[in-house]
Amino acid sequence: MTNPFISNKKVLASYSIVWFFVFLVQVSVLNLFLHISFFASVLDSAFYNGLYFALGISLWYTVNFNSLENYSVPKIFLNHIAAAAITSGLWIFVGYYFLSHMITDDITYSNFLLKSSLVWRFLIGILYYSVIISIDYIFIYYYNFQEKVLKETELHALVKEAELKTLKYQINPHFIFNSLNSISSLTITNPVKAQDMTIKLSSFLRSTLSKNEKQKSKLSEEINNAKLYLDIEKVRFAEKFDFIDEIKPECKELEVPSMILQPLFENAIKHGVYESLDKVFIKLSCGMEKEYFKIVVENNFDTEAIPRKGEGIGLRNIKNRLKLIYNQENLLTVEKIKNIFKVTIFIPLQSGK
Amino acid sequence: MEKKIKTIIIDDEELARAIIINYLKKFDNIEILTECSNGFEAIKQIGELKPDLIFLDIQMPKLTGFEMLEILDDPPVIIFTTAFDQYALKAFEVNAIDYLLKPFSEERFSEALVKAIKMIKSVPPKKQKLAELVNTGGKRNEFLDRVVIKQGQKISIVPVDDISYIEAQDDYTMLYTGKGNFLKQKTMKYYDENLNPAEFIRIHRSYFVKLSSVKQIELFEKESYRVILHDGKQLPVSKSGYQNLKETFK
Repeated sequence: MTNPFISNKKVLASYSIVWFFVFLVQVSVLNLFLHISFFASVLDSAFYNGLYFALGISLWYTVNFNSLENYSVPKIFLNHIAAAAITSGLWIFVGYYFLSHMITDDITYSNFLLKSSLVWRFLIGILYYSVIISIDYIFIYYYNFQEKVLKETELHALVKEAELKTLKYQINPHFIFNSLNSISSLTITNPVKAQDMTIKLSSFLRSTLSKNEKQKSKLSEEINNAKLYLDIEKVRFAEKFDFIDEIKPECKELEVPSMILQPLFENAIKHGVYESLDKVFIKLSCGMEKEYFKIVVENNFDTEAIPRKGEGIGLRNIKNRLKLIYNQENLLTVEKIKNIFKVTIFIPLQSGK
Repeated sequence: MEKKIKTIIIDDEELARAIIINYLKKFDNIEILTECSNGFEAIKQIGELKPDLIFLDIQMPKLTGFEMLEILDDPPVIIFTTAFDQYALKAFEVNAIDYLLKPFSEERFSEALVKAIKMIKSVPPKKQKLAELVNTGGKRNEFLDRVVIKQGQKISIVPVDDISYIEAQDDYTMLYTGKGNFLKQKTMKYYDENLNPAEFIRIHRSYFVKLSSVKQIELFEKESYRVILHDGKQLPVSKSGYQNLKETFK
């Protein structure tokens, strides 16, 4: 940290004003109470206070040198006592040397300068020293405090970013390998379809990989991506499911966290289609509710299929992601009504962030 | 004429079955009996048609490939075909002859098939006691999450979460759940190896208890303890069982 008396103009101005005030007080005391001539009073005050004005600024460096990180408290204390005495002595000596040469014809002042002033000036020097280094320490403390607050907010932002990263959607490798296996099979029986599937898989991978870089995207883009995914699954499980798109056109322009729909569809496929012997429908719809925009994904499932453990991690991840992005709880709800599994996502319309 | 090798292809994806059928065309000593798209159907077909060889996917509706093998009395030679590479070790524990990772090449497929044919021809079918080998599971990263029970022709799936305790009954074990009791053709060793030790504690030579169904542990006579479950049922605790409990609650 740089010397605040030099780098900060406001601090320097206040510091100057205080010294000017001290200067006025000293002139008055010397002139009115000690009956020293006005000229000598002004000169004495100006010289001594001007000198300490400069010394005070440079004290910053002794304070910085004597930081708590470098030395123990008693050691710092001793250092400062020694520095205070040396500074004070030097201050009196330099002032005396110049002033005694400048004012030679004023006996009252000469007496004062040489005798009576020495002790109290020394004490005042110590006092000035103490006051200035206290202010310096306050500056350092304040600066460190601000630094700490800044670092903490930075850290919080980093943690949040890291959390968001871990919650991000990840392509399921089994999906890729199983799709590639389907392609491999199709190359023998139906090369045209194999080509079609290769292109779909590529598009899906490309958009998923690029979208994961962004925090938000349009709902229409999300739906397009999800449709690509469903198309690929359709090749794998031809007659096992149907997709019903009930999204109203006015919803499509809305911004949603990117890759937020994909895990919902994967869930529907995994627990609905993979585990069921009958046909499954997957329905996507949207709507408004109070100050929220609502996206609903529903699917029927085989009630007799025994749920496997480790379920719901995908849903929990979305929930946590929504919470981090919108700073609100419960933006994802899950309902199981008879054989219907329904997931609703709430996007706050007034999303400041 | 040489006897043909009978096979069944089990996979929930039609295209995955299609590629196996395609690769098999080059082998005229193989006869495809049927195709199955789920575990239940496969159990039935294997029981009826008695194939020499099956191609088996792991992730399927109703029953996984592994669960299927558990309840087969006399499993045929198995070639696993799956996209999951983390099950390879487990696959060889259940004595699979090979483990094909999807998508696989025709060369790789032929290699597996040749191995399988050799095995089928060299070993008299009766001597193949694969069922026993299924029992000897090793250390696994994954714990059991459901138990498959075969009662006559009926197959039940019991989620591990439903089990409150397990009791040894000779070579079998009885699973006690809120929805009834199920007899499983496995010994206590099976649970020792496959249950999550954080959820189930072996409290006695003959008992496993689920921690969450325990209401209290109390002193019963001198230096002997017993566990009382939420439904009031009392189970004995052996000395080493008490040690196990103590370590869990540490």
